[in-house]
Amino acid sequence: MRVPISWLSEFIDLKGSPEEIAEILTMGGIEVGSIEDPYENLGELVAVKILEVLEPEELKEIALCKVTDGKEVYTVITTAKDQVKPGLVLGLVKPGSTTFTFQKIEIKHIKKYQSYGMFLSPYEAGIGEEKDKLLILPEDAPLGESIYKILGISETVLELEITPNRGDVLSILGAARELHTLTSWELKPIKFEDYLKAGNKFKGKIEIEDKDGCFRYAGRFFANVKVQESPFHIQKKLWLCGLRPINNIVDITNYVLLEFGQPLHAFDWNKIKDHTIVIRKAKIGEKLLMLDGIEREFTEEDLVIADAEKPMVLAGIMGGEDSGVSEETAHIFLESAWFNPKRIRKSSQRHRITTESSYRFERGIDPEGVILGLLRASELILEIAKAEKFSEIMDLYPKPYIAPQILLSQKKLSKYLGFSIPLEEVENTLNKIGWVRRSEGSFEVIPYSYRQDLKIPEDLIEEVARIYGYEKIPTTYPKAVLYAKAPLDIINLENKVKNVLKSLGFFQIITYSFIDPKSLEKLNLSHDDPRKNLIEIANPIASTQSVMRTTLVPGLLETACFNLFREVNSLKIFEIGKVFFPTEDVLAYEPMHLGILLMGNNTEEIWYEEPRKFDIYDLKGYLEEFFEILKIPIQFKPYSSEPFLKKGVSFDLILNNSKIGFAGEVKNLILKEFDLKTNVLLAEIDLEPVLKQWEEVFKVKKPPKYPSTFRDVTCILKREIKIGDILEFIKSLSVLYLEKVKCIKIYEGPPIPEDEKSVSLRFWYRAPDRTLTDEEVNEIQEDLAKKIFIKFSAKPR
Amino acid sequence: MIADEIEKLKSEIWQEFENIDSLSELNNFRIKYIGKKGVITSYLKKLKDLTLEEKKRLGKELNQLKADIETRLKQKEKEILFKEEDKEVGLDLTLPGRRVFLGAIHPLSQIIDELCAIFSRLGFEIVTGPEIETEYYNFTALNIPDWHPARDMQATFYLKNGAILRTHTSPMQIRTMLERVPPLRIIAPGKVYRCDADVRHSPMFHQIEGLMVDREVSFSDLKGILTYFAKETFGEKTKVRFRPSYFPFTEPSVEMDIGCVICNSKGCRVCSYTGWLEILGAGMVHPEVFKAVNYDTEIWQGFAFGLGIERIAMIKYGIDDIRLFFENHLYFLESFK
Repeated sequence: MRVPISWLSEFIDLKGSPEEIAEILTMGGIEVGSIEDPYENLGELVAVKILEVLEPEELKEIALCKVTDGKEVYTVITTAKDQVKPGLVLGLVKPGSTTFTFQKIEIKHIKKYQSYGMFLSPYEAGIGEEKDKLLILPEDAPLGESIYKILGISETVLELEITPNRGDVLSILGAARELHTLTSWELKPIKFEDYLKAGNKFKGKIEIEDKDGCFRYAGRFFANVKVQESPFHIQKKLWLCGLRPINNIVDITNYVLLEFGQPLHAFDWNKIKDHTIVIRKAKIGEKLLMLDGIEREFTEEDLVIADAEKPMVLAGIMGGEDSGVSEETAHIFLESAWFNPKRIRKSSQRHRITTESSYRFERGIDPEGVILGLLRASELILEIAKAEKFSEIMDLYPKPYIAPQILLSQKKLSKYLGFSIPLEEVENTLNKIGWVRRSEGSFEVIPYSYRQDLKIPEDLIEEVARIYGYEKIPTTYPKAVLYAKAPLDIINLENKVKNVLKSLGFFQIITYSFIDPKSLEKLNLSHDDPRKNLIEIANPIASTQSVMRTTLVPGLLETACFNLFREVNSLKIFEIGKVFFPTEDVLAYEPMHLGILLMGNNTEEIWYEEPRKFDIYDLKGYLEEFFEILKIPIQFKPYSSEPFLKKGVSFDLILNNSKIGFAGEVKNLILKEFDLKTNVLLAEIDLEPVLKQWEEVFKVKKPPKYPSTFRDVTCILKREIKIGDILEFIKSLSVLYLEKVKCIKIYEGPPIPEDEKSVSLRFWYRAPDRTLTDEEVNEIQEDLAKKIFIKFSAKPR
Repeated sequence: MIADEIEKLKSEIWQEFENIDSLSELNNFRIKYIGKKGVITSYLKKLKDLTLEEKKRLGKELNQLKADIETRLKQKEKEILFKEEDKEVGLDLTLPGRRVFLGAIHPLSQIIDELCAIFSRLGFEIVTGPEIETEYYNFTALNIPDWHPARDMQATFYLKNGAILRTHTSPMQIRTMLERVPPLRIIAPGKVYRCDADVRHSPMFHQIEGLMVDREVSFSDLKGILTYFAKETFGEKTKVRFRPSYFPFTEPSVEMDIGCVICNSKGCRVCSYTGWLEILGAGMVHPEVFKAVNYDTEIWQGFAFGLGIERIAMIKYGIDDIRLFFENHLYFLESFK
């Protein structure tokens, strides 16, 4: 809501600067978003001097002027040939700027000539009526300076950001009242001449059929109005508030809407069939071509203003093209009504139209403002549109508004605010928002009709607090029982995961929970894959963000791609976040997942180390460390069947015999789909089963008392034999004193035959109660080696 | 006289000793004087012609000299070895070291953790809940019926089954109150969604909801808790102010501003030249909300607040484009190590 200070001062005796007013309103709960001068906002409208006037032959009726703004010389083309002469100082609107008449100026080309802007008339400059004359500035005016600075013209407009509960402040009068409430600055009385309240007998018929939709309907007839352009002062006020002028009748309805917050609607009397006005539910299928040029079909929930035959207006929202006021209109009927906010809101939503009018009706208008607005408009129509006659005011008000009586006890007020405001002060404050009766320890308040937001005692507490000043309320700490539960396991786990991966050199990323359904196609998931069971957004911002993710993989791959295209060739990232699956219920199943991605090389090119590409053993190593720290006995089961992973270098991650994730190298074809021209490995883990088993406990190992001793075995094996199988076999033998076994070397190549490999294993032995002798160890080791050799058909090297 | 010779020898020895500067010189010295065929041995041999008394005296003297030399040579050897190690040619230490790189936690995650820690200190419990919500929890139970214009304040994503993506973390107020009995103090961090996208708005962002319900918790307590939070987060000297505002689920409602940390309240682009930055919305829990969860408003009252993590992160780190958080460029993430 734009509030020009000049207009505001017609309603209240302002005793502060615009900045002070803004501060008072903001601290009172009506946030002032900006303080502006709309003249300045037009852009560059500056003084220029004509240096030379040329009249090229090929341009009849037009003069080409060379002008200067004191710095540069421009050419400007004008049709006001007879008004320009060298030496004259005029107002020029430069390209990129706007005029008062909402005209956006650009460089114009006529034949081979260029016009750098336009000379302004006083009207186009927004400072006077005159349209046919150019604005002539004093000869000594500083060139290049803003014409408004030169002429000493300025306006200040406050942009109020009004919360949905305060529909009453959506007008100049409302802003004045609010300012009065907050400051006690004197309001100026609003008076109307008596004759405006009378009038001839109304010759039409008005009926409220839908009393739930329309609470009050008033209106009056005006004969022989002259529909034409509004006078300058009306246009200027509309302009200050950001509205375009249309014609005097429409402008007056807008003027009153801005001034009193009362939406009005003017009908062409002769277009009202049988001069009958019915406020009713729309009939199913009824249509109306509306002022925005769109034909809409109504439902029974829509409220319309109809004549004897058809709807003319979607009540409170927008009129039809037919019944509106045009230059041919002679007689008008002016409506001022109060509609049910909920009904207006629903229609406005259903048809997706928001207008100045619907915006106010939705937020609730002042029932008493209905007549006030009508009177104000009548005054203006008589003065400006020169109506010859007018009818009495018709006022259908089947169930007059009864304001609630709200009881506020002193005790509740103090308990709520945490301190006591003196009773006198409370009473003074409440007096500003309604009628107050004070009784023993409490106040009975009947709020003014425009304050329909006040319904319950808590509303009054807010009024008292904000008028008294939030800043004056003390700052205290609550008294409460000292007790709190430990953080949830999921939060602890998340923190643990983040910290472990950070220590391993990974960066946490956060990507959108909604993804492109196409990205799942790119992953080549089969049709029955549960990750294709998607939750769709009905109104996505873009199709690329239209379904809820069921896997973190697309987000990881897209982040990798984003980085790759911006000078980052290697990456170690992870994301921890929810994925979403539909359930029988309305709500979704939202398990927490962890995704990990490795891209590019393990190190950058650097003097001490040869970079190498990340491979599956890097990923496996990180995961092993990760799960070991979490003490989760994960199994890495080769090979995964995830369609986007290279089978031979992938695992399923198994916990308690069920798959909780996967890890592996991404297929080249998939990388191509994601525009990734480098190697990528990834893993995704469902953290819900991890959470069930995770416990933050440490198994403490003591330093050994007796030394260990180790033996190495090197043997030649068939290449396809898996080291894991050998280790499993050794484990199954439960060898005495054998503490651990590790594969310390693998060699393939000459002189080893092509289908074989050389493998070295190291065995550590330790007894808990003594130092083992060499003989003992040798004996155990020899026996063990023999078993391995036989089992795996190995040869010694 | 042999005794005089020995005296002379002594001074020669110690003079020469002083000049030893390397292990080889040291070795030569050792051989020359105390080796098997060394000078001292040859003197000892010369003693045999002397009287028993002199033999005894000078022999003792020579042996003592030998012992002294040995002791001091050992010392000298240590000194030389020490110096030897410094004689190696210095490396090019301008080269960078062999680094091991730490990763980083996402800045939004860090802010959430920090704020959770602040409120945990005050005895607030952390709770979490679904991101896909019903209109009832997200709006209706929070005193925002479907006809209410306040629904315009939050552009909602609808799902095809009629559920929505929660537009704020406030449904956690309802979920927690239904699940528990008062008194309670909770905070609920999490993702929220609104159909809005530009430099300042992201369709997905993060909030923290706070709720305290007790017998006597008041508006002035709300001011106290939030002031504490602001000072913990932005520094002890942070100025705060409280403005009346409107949220359907609180009454009275309030917005808290902090003095602009970018310009020190002098007025800049970030604070729209007001000197103040809006940080959060809050208020006393609306009786309609208590009604929705069957809490007796004669006994219980409370306050709630909600704050945007991105906004706090942007202010704290001087970031002017919200999209940076979700693009996850490595250079950006590395700044938060």
